[in-house]
Amino acid sequence: MAELVHSPLFGLLLTLASYRMATWLYGKVHSLPLFHPFIVASIPVIVVLPLVGVSYTEYRDQTQVLSFLLGPATVALAWPLYRQLHTVRSVWRPILITTFIGAALAAGISIYLAWMLGAPEAVVGSLAPKSITTPIAVEVVKSTGGYVSLAAGAVAITGIVGALVAGLVFRMLRVKDDRIRGFALGLVAHAIGTARAFEFSEKAGAFAGLALGLTGLVTALALPWLWPLISPWLFPG
Amino acid sequence: MVDGLLILLLFQFLGELVIHFTGLPLPAPVVGMVLLLLALMFSVPYSDRVADASGALIRHISLLIFPLGVGIVLQWERYSDYALALTVAVILGTIVALVLVTLLLKLLLRERGKAGERGGRADG
Repeated sequence: MAELVHSPLFGLLLTLASYRMATWLYGKVHSLPLFHPFIVASIPVIVVLPLVGVSYTEYRDQTQVLSFLLGPATVALAWPLYRQLHTVRSVWRPILITTFIGAALAAGISIYLAWMLGAPEAVVGSLAPKSITTPIAVEVVKSTGGYVSLAAGAVAITGIVGALVAGLVFRMLRVKDDRIRGFALGLVAHAIGTARAFEFSEKAGAFAGLALGLTGLVTALALPWLWPLISPWLFPG
Repeated sequence: MVDGLLILLLFQFLGELVIHFTGLPLPAPVVGMVLLLLALMFSVPYSDRVADASGALIRHISLLIFPLGVGIVLQWERYSDYALALTVAVILGTIVALVLVTLLLKLLLRERGKAGERGGRADG
């Protein structure tokens, strides 16, 4: 009986069942960000694994097929990027400027805050890619010497926080332009922010998708070169 | 679907090849993404068959990342010493970044933004 839980079948079944239940609940609460499938699905997994005596490392091995698909999922981001390149031709200049400054801000603020509060190099390195979509973040974190699980968790929480506060932030800053709402959400809060942007409008969603792709691309291309310069300066010796 | 998956894996492999021969410090799937984007922009035959598979994978990114992301809780003892730094950096950092990026966009898109708003009201 006990050996049944030590196979990929168990880990995958637990993951899919938890995730399916979570997406069902998410639909029921009309996509309330606090009930994001990521948060809800984690509850049964966190409870069941220790109960049946499966360690996290073993669970991660069991579900490797899902993690493997993050590679092709990253390549797949070229498709929405390509589709939206045509719809935003007229504003490409402000879009590109915002991508460069925004990607640097999103990463820089987190690096600075974590560093100021005494986090060690590996933890700071795990937070650097937190605003970019998970499949890219998981790849980039290898170049900053961070922890994959911390980076993935930070990315998920970033997305949820971004989606949660977006309505309030846009009201306070009096933003009514859906291009701004969408692009800001996609840049800071990646895929989860993009889903939130689609709730504003189709146009906001398209701009969010574009921001997600561009920010991921810029961060992935820049961080592996920049980190070896930033890291010795923050953590001498 | 099979065509799409084939194209995605092929471009990921091309990314691996580029990294292998150039030694660039980049994630191979990101290089694959750039190569696929170029292929699409130059209308390489069949490249648009990635649509279905891409849509399916992107829609379920939270499922694909889930086993890795849940580790933040299941390996919490590894990170609990830095709980304050993590919480502040992730939550406050995200809110500050969202405000700054929104302000930046407002500034850069101001002229066009006003025109767009007016157009929006006329439509609605």
